[in-house]
Amino acid sequence: MAISIESLPPPGWDGEGLDGLLAAFLPGRLSEIFGPRSSGGGSLLLALLSRATARGGLVALVDAADSLDPVTAARAGLDLRALLWVRCGGRPASAWNAVDLLARCTGFAAIALDLGSAGSTAPPALGTRLQRAAEGSGAAVIVRTPRHLLGGAAALVVSVRRVRTRWIGADGPTRLGGLVSEARVLRSRADPRLATPERAWVIEWRA
Amino acid sequence: MTRIACLVVPGAGEQTQQLLLELALAHSPSVEDGGPGIVYLDLRGLEGLFGGEKEIARRLLDAMIERGLAGRIGVAGSRAGSRFAARSGDGITIIPSDQDARRLGPAPLALLDLDPRMIARFSRWGIRTLGELADLPARGLAERLGDEGAWLQRLARGEDTTPLRLWTPLPVFEESAECSWGVETLEPLADLAAGLAEILCARLSRHGCSADAFEWSCRLADRTMHEGGCAPAAPLSDPDAAAALVRSSLAAHPPRTAVEEITLRARPVRVATTQPRFDEPPRPSPRQLTATLARLSALVDARGIGSPVILDTHRPDTHQMAPFTLLPSPLRGEGRVRGGPTVRGGPNVKGGPTIRGGPTVSGSVLAMRRLRPPRPVEVALAGGIPAHLRAAGLTGRIVAGAGPWRISGDWWTDAPFARDEWDVELADGTLCRLAREGRGWRLEAIYD
Repeated sequence: MAISIESLPPPGWDGEGLDGLLAAFLPGRLSEIFGPRSSGGGSLLLALLSRATARGGLVALVDAADSLDPVTAARAGLDLRALLWVRCGGRPASAWNAVDLLARCTGFAAIALDLGSAGSTAPPALGTRLQRAAEGSGAAVIVRTPRHLLGGAAALVVSVRRVRTRWIGADGPTRLGGLVSEARVLRSRADPRLATPERAWVIEWRA
Repeated sequence: MTRIACLVVPGAGEQTQQLLLELALAHSPSVEDGGPGIVYLDLRGLEGLFGGEKEIARRLLDAMIERGLAGRIGVAGSRAGSRFAARSGDGITIIPSDQDARRLGPAPLALLDLDPRMIARFSRWGIRTLGELADLPARGLAERLGDEGAWLQRLARGEDTTPLRLWTPLPVFEESAECSWGVETLEPLADLAAGLAEILCARLSRHGCSADAFEWSCRLADRTMHEGGCAPAAPLSDPDAAAALVRSSLAAHPPRTAVEEITLRARPVRVATTQPRFDEPPRPSPRQLTATLARLSALVDARGIGSPVILDTHRPDTHQMAPFTLLPSPLRGEGRVRGGPTVRGGPNVKGGPTIRGGPTVSGSVLAMRRLRPPRPVEVALAGGIPAHLRAAGLTGRIVAGAGPWRISGDWWTDAPFARDEWDVELADGTLCRLAREGRGWRLEAIYD
């Protein structure tokens, strides 16, 4: 009888590329993506959620600023039917409470909190609570913030910054082509080798 | 000898199907739900009550007409035969005993509701009718298709030995509580409703059912009714989760005055228990998910919780929220059961890589952060091109931009739209989507 070897990565998997970065966001851990607006952090978050739904998982997005664009999300491969979208209407306090609640619900592959470009201050000790909740539920809990918020609670901290914008057009820009951003792992408790200063992921996000 | 009647109502919805099943059950105790618009009933032993087959069929057809159902009836010795008879004639068509095989000969294979794999295989063999399938050598067919092949051939010959899968109507799950003194505050009312939910869940469990929706109605002191409902993410019969759900629903729509009577109804469904597979991702338990969603709806507006569904229009930022439901895992190959039209780009998470200075591989999608509602902005133009942007919290010189891209649509409706869109880059690197409608500019989104 043939036994499929699920432990092998799928054909075309690029361990050194974005796939390798996405694989650093482990289930049962709290992760943080921070960077200013237009730095590619939102795109990285979408890629993470898309990967989870492509594997048949359910994901939850707590959207503090009510800013998710479903069309872009679907283009990125996110299965919208597997997405629980919690729109907080610009109330970050509700968003923190919502992600605290969801992180305790087992069965989600990934639970993301997008604080928007305005950001917010994390309630005291919530980072530690989220990390423990993630360990209990087994979900990858990801917080996207404009600046580093979670202190030492996050097991993975990724900073993103914009490198350049790509415009399309022979005689001056006629269309936005995409955004090139750079991601660096500042802390990885699971694999400290990812957090070396010389290692960076330059990713092109296509518009 | 088996004699089966098939009632067919083309294009029947859920309510029509229910009506059809109840009508059939009023004539025979053995009734099978054959899918949308199809009901089978066993005619054996009904002669003494209603007369011969013709009389029974006439009686059934009259009952259908009385209820406003435009349908047809077929009577034969098998399900396939009766269905074919119902489809092939108007009104009533009866295939005499032992003539199923002959009459079924020219019927298409689709009558057997084969799966696409089997249809493709028969198509490769050049088999398109039941007669051709019936004529195949039985031994060769069994060698190639196993028991299924032999069984399909028997069906094609009108030999249907499988008994009907009996349909029985689900009982009504409804509980009421009277409080003649009038409940004026929410907390005791919610306790009362939670108690009713627990009783209903106990009854549901006894019948092997779950509820996929709860509806409540309150008779108020001013003699008016106050109604509402809630639906769990997945059918449930857990009393605690149901109680939490009903509580949050009442809290979201509290009655405006004292309540004299509250009634809670559960919509029952039968849920097949399935063993989770080892290779599929875990899913939340209906009980825990329902409780979590109920608590979430107390934190944020319940209308803001769900799954987005993209609408079939080119109008920007148009979508609606659908309730979040637990769907079968796509790994089971069962497909999704619910969902509107969506734009799919396919999983596209492989992308660019790498060490700084190395080649960049495209492949991932740039996210757009919508501003809801779009923020009015002041835009200074230079030669008709945006040169400077000023808005609350976002001001800067525009260093690059592309546009205008004119989009318009819905001109055939009362709400047409037409606008010019620009993608611009500010000096601090912020990438924005601007829209101009008339003379006003708005900041629609920020790329991230």
